[in-house]
Amino acid sequence: MSSINVTAVSHNEQHPIDSFFHPNSMPSVWCPGCGIGTIVYTYVQAVKEMNVEPDKICVVSGIGCTGKIAEYLNFGSHEITDGNVIAYAANLAAKKQYMKVTLFTNNADFLVSSAKDFLEIGKTMANLLVIHNNNIIYCITENGAIPTTPFIRTSASNDFELPFNIPHLAKSSGAEYVARWTPLHAGWLKYSIIDALSKQALSVIEVVSPCVMFFTFTNKIGDAADQLRFYRDNSVMKQYEPTEHLDLRSKREVIIGKFVDKKEF
Amino acid sequence: MTSLQAAFDADKIEIPLGQVHIVRDRCKGCGYCIKYCPREVLEVSEKPNDKGYYFPRVKDEDTCLNCGLCELICPEFAIWSTLTRYVKPKLIKEMVNESF
Ligand code: SF4
Ligand code: SF4
Repeated sequence: MSSINVTAVSHNEQHPIDSFFHPNSMPSVWCPGCGIGTIVYTYVQAVKEMNVEPDKICVVSGIGCTGKIAEYLNFGSHEITDGNVIAYAANLAAKKQYMKVTLFTNNADFLVSSAKDFLEIGKTMANLLVIHNNNIIYCITENGAIPTTPFIRTSASNDFELPFNIPHLAKSSGAEYVARWTPLHAGWLKYSIIDALSKQALSVIEVVSPCVMFFTFTNKIGDAADQLRFYRDNSVMKQYEPTEHLDLRSKREVIIGKFVDKKEF
Repeated sequence: MTSLQAAFDADKIEIPLGQVHIVRDRCKGCGYCIKYCPREVLEVSEKPNDKGYYFPRVKDEDTCLNCGLCELICPEFAIWSTLTRYVKPKLIKEMVNESF
């Protein structure tokens, strides 16, 4: 190892949250600057601050980059095949074995493979927290437009399509807690997760995060920090904004905040 | 806080100072901690780490306020800060004396 003289920097210490990961699972596979890492850190920090036993928490994730979360976290972790994540997590929540089941989703396994299941679990009042990592792209297919891509685009028959509105979907299917943040609002995100973890019903938190390799670089936005700065400069906090206004349309600011919080059942 | 208030309650206020810890070979050089640190404590290192990324290093040890922002937004769980000690802020009188 080369000797580099660095003040106040130690090289091989344990990070304070390393005990929440499987041993030797770090470093992660995520790209430099990926928003998923911040989501995982804030989630672990929220669990730590709530003083919950790690085996009372269950983490479910599906496919793609977000799917790796369950692989790394040392809670009751389940990594599920494509198309079954929401149904599986809802079943797990119905068994009442865990204090809270958390489901980490991305656009592919939430909006495409299992959105129909989501419409049903709202009715069953499943005790489930969905943290949706919305990077407005499918990471692997690089240039495919997806239901939440915020550009006006045309389908094969030249019809306009507007981006999909996840908070509105969540509210209309009965979620008791709906919020949206970006990774740079990590402090807010942490308290939002604490709020949602202490609820006994379906909660949905959407995180609008940068996909560095396939969105930031291919669209020549700059580097990861530039895209995060773009999100920060173009976001406005509007608490309890009606969810109909919340799609990520282009040339409009990203509205962040807490949109639904039903205190009583 | 206005300068007048600082003069009145300066004996009650203590400023926390933090120490930054970095797991050097876990960092992927995204630059979030360097660009978003409110006190500009960190800078890019001259040499890359074993993976080839330019990791952050501490520019000025005594400016970190242990705010924890770098720890919160680091996507690689590579950086965190710990509280070392509290210091008294300088009184207005001392600042004025110093500037002349
Ligand atoms: S704790 Fe705050 S002040 Fe210290 S290095 Fe991190 S971001 Fe900067
Ligand atoms: S935020 Fe983390 S991964 Fe990014 S440069 Fe800083 S220490 Fe490295």
